[in-house]
Amino acid sequence: MMNMTLLAPDNALGFPAPYWFIIFFKVLGFTLHMVPMNIWYAGLITMLLLRKFGGENAKRLSDRVLNAMPVIISIGVNFGIVPLLFTQVAYYKVFYPATILMAWPWFSIFILLTAAYYGVYYYVVGLRSGTMTGIKYAVGWVSAISFMLIGFLFANSFSLMTNIGAWEGLWKANSIAGASLGTALNTGDPVLIPRWLMMFGLALTTTAAYIMIDTGFFAGSEKDNYKKWVPDFALKIYLVGILWFAAAGSWYFFGTINPAVRAHQLEGNFFILTALTAVAPGIPFILILLFRKSLTKLKALAIGLAQFIVLALNAISRQIVQNKELSAYLDVTGEKVNIQWSPLIIFLLLFVIGVGIVVWMVMQVAKSPKKAEA
Amino acid sequence: MHYPWWYVPFLTSPMLIAGVSVFHVFVSMYAVGGGLFLAAETQYAYKTGNRAYLSYLKDHAWFFILLTAVYGSITGVGIWWTIGLASPLATEALIHIFVFGWAMEYVFFVLEIASAFIFYYYWDRLNSKTHQTIGWIYGISAWISLVLITGITAFMLHPGSWPEDQSFWSAFLNPQFLPQTIARTGGSLLLASLYVYMHAAFRLKDKSLQGLISTRSTKPGLLGAILVTVGGLWWFVALPESAKAALAAASVLNVLMILIFLMTIVVFIMLYLGPFRNPGWITPGFAILLFTFGLAATGTGEFIREAVRKPFVVYDVVLSNQILPSEIPSLQKNGYLEGGVWTKAFIASYYPSSINPEGQINEAELLNLPQSERIKIGEVLFQYHCNDCHAAGDGYSAVGQVTRGWTPEMTLTLLRHLDQAHFFMPPFAGTDEEAMLLTDYIQSIAKPFPQGLPREN
Repeated sequence: MMNMTLLAPDNALGFPAPYWFIIFFKVLGFTLHMVPMNIWYAGLITMLLLRKFGGENAKRLSDRVLNAMPVIISIGVNFGIVPLLFTQVAYYKVFYPATILMAWPWFSIFILLTAAYYGVYYYVVGLRSGTMTGIKYAVGWVSAISFMLIGFLFANSFSLMTNIGAWEGLWKANSIAGASLGTALNTGDPVLIPRWLMMFGLALTTTAAYIMIDTGFFAGSEKDNYKKWVPDFALKIYLVGILWFAAAGSWYFFGTINPAVRAHQLEGNFFILTALTAVAPGIPFILILLFRKSLTKLKALAIGLAQFIVLALNAISRQIVQNKELSAYLDVTGEKVNIQWSPLIIFLLLFVIGVGIVVWMVMQVAKSPKKAEA
Repeated sequence: MHYPWWYVPFLTSPMLIAGVSVFHVFVSMYAVGGGLFLAAETQYAYKTGNRAYLSYLKDHAWFFILLTAVYGSITGVGIWWTIGLASPLATEALIHIFVFGWAMEYVFFVLEIASAFIFYYYWDRLNSKTHQTIGWIYGISAWISLVLITGITAFMLHPGSWPEDQSFWSAFLNPQFLPQTIARTGGSLLLASLYVYMHAAFRLKDKSLQGLISTRSTKPGLLGAILVTVGGLWWFVALPESAKAALAAASVLNVLMILIFLMTIVVFIMLYLGPFRNPGWITPGFAILLFTFGLAATGTGEFIREAVRKPFVVYDVVLSNQILPSEIPSLQKNGYLEGGVWTKAFIASYYPSSINPEGQINEAELLNLPQSERIKIGEVLFQYHCNDCHAAGDGYSAVGQVTRGWTPEMTLTLLRHLDQAHFFMPPFAGTDEEAMLLTDYIQSIAKPFPQGLPREN
């Protein structure tokens, strides 16, 4: 154990639920968050590039994805609340100091997000009303860059959470009378850049999978030429994503993370998980390759589910790495547990009812006539 | 103390919470009241077959989504961001007590977002019955969200019997829960009416439709004003004694209470004389004026709600300077610098000779340091113990300003009896040596006594 002095004492109330329960929702929430987040993180800039440099089909694809982007962002922000909530329950000792040390960049995230979200709306309103102007395109680009910057800041805070050894130096360099100026960034951590880039590669693959789902489910009224072009394009994007993910992931795993953590991830059952996390993107890629000439709703769904598994494996591996990195300083699984049974049960009941109502609403939407045919 | 303190010059970091929260509440209340308005009025428009009204409601729903689903959602997340940075111990405590309260609220938030988008984007594609049902799913989910969040925020003002039994339900069903729920429900209905007037004033040219909207939305607005009044009075009755005393003793709160009372009356009269009795009065200017009064009343209410909690940030649970009340005796005995994770690290890093062989800070040794070093350590104490509520030389409630002309003896005496001199301040949670170090720092930033005033020598 090192640097114990910079960690807060245990919360006397204890965890309100068993650790496994908290971590299940943290990982589930992060996986769900990654789906839409990936689409705005890498998808938005990809679609803007297509709009700028692509042909007719590329422009059409760009418009389709951008049209859905406000809803995608809303779902992503919404799902992001879950891991944030459960991170603060179980990882409060590292979450608060890390974010306070970089308080201004962390605080700026919600300002950037507000601006980027409204920027996307501004762009989309222009698309829908056929009033695209140079300013609207420029605003779209600012939004895309803002989202990438937000990704960088998230990579900073979550890598700083486990880089406890760097806290003291960052604090001393960015403080006044022992109080944090909130201006630190974890840029001295070699893990930061590959971690940020690795997520970008993964985000490209999710964007490709989303394109297949959009084409399989919602592009029925598009021209045949478009429907033939899109799967081939998705395959290319997925391939770029895999190569990017492999390159950044190798850099991250073999070049930057703590050797003890690497050794842990290559031991016994963890080796299987690590290997699965690394090779899993190959499955959706193969599915896109196989289904691209005869895409149906079922096949598109299979691609989507395979991609969800890719993201879930990534989230589980990240969680295990996070715990291992922290194990030199604290044991998050060792805190007192004081289960709040009745609110926990009510939450689970409401969760099931809520999911049921959402499913019912989605079914009503699926049954509704299409816009053009209405 | 448990966490590094975030220094925000001039403003103090907790004031960022106030800023983000107030601007969030302006929209989150509309998200509730506006949702109920849209659900009820869509049902009415379908029932009466009023296509023009339906068309207006669709236009309003777009404005509603742009404001609530984007700005409202993100500023809601922004509050999370800010409280974790500026009030980490209080956030840690609240999360451990209420994680399932927030998780339940999240379920309804998901329902809100899903139903809001379906309600608007599938406006002309769903059959009228399903469309109305989805509108009500939104309205009811939004109101339940309000109820759940109010349970948590009301706890911050009155923990009820939670300190004794530490039960979730004691915390949630605290004495402030019902009054604040009533007041916030009323505020939501009232604010929603003001948003509707403003939107209609700018977007509608059809005078008869404007008249219909004015008449229809004034009733919930007036009901909202009554609920605000009833909830507000009950809120006052259910306040802890110290909060009532703070309202009576702090002149700024006296002024704000009078302001909120006057503004609520003004809004009520304007609603009655304007949209209710004379629907034709709805002009952009009148709507903006009404809206501004409504926001000002809401903002004032939120500020008062925050201010009366002092000296706590979560009443009886966490003090405003991020200390647990139970920690005070030990800090007064062993030292604030010793008890704080980051203050101890500061002394160990910069004054290692002050650490004794047992690894504890030798406070007498700190007093032997040169004056400039004593001031530096005093500044550390100031940052961690005082900066939650006070800027240093200049800024929000700056100590340099309020201690103009104070002698070291006066400062030291006040520090020793901080909570006795001002009951809305926490006790000084340090040793006598630390009080002297803090005195040195405060003396170094205190402004001179203003010239031209009579002064006893």
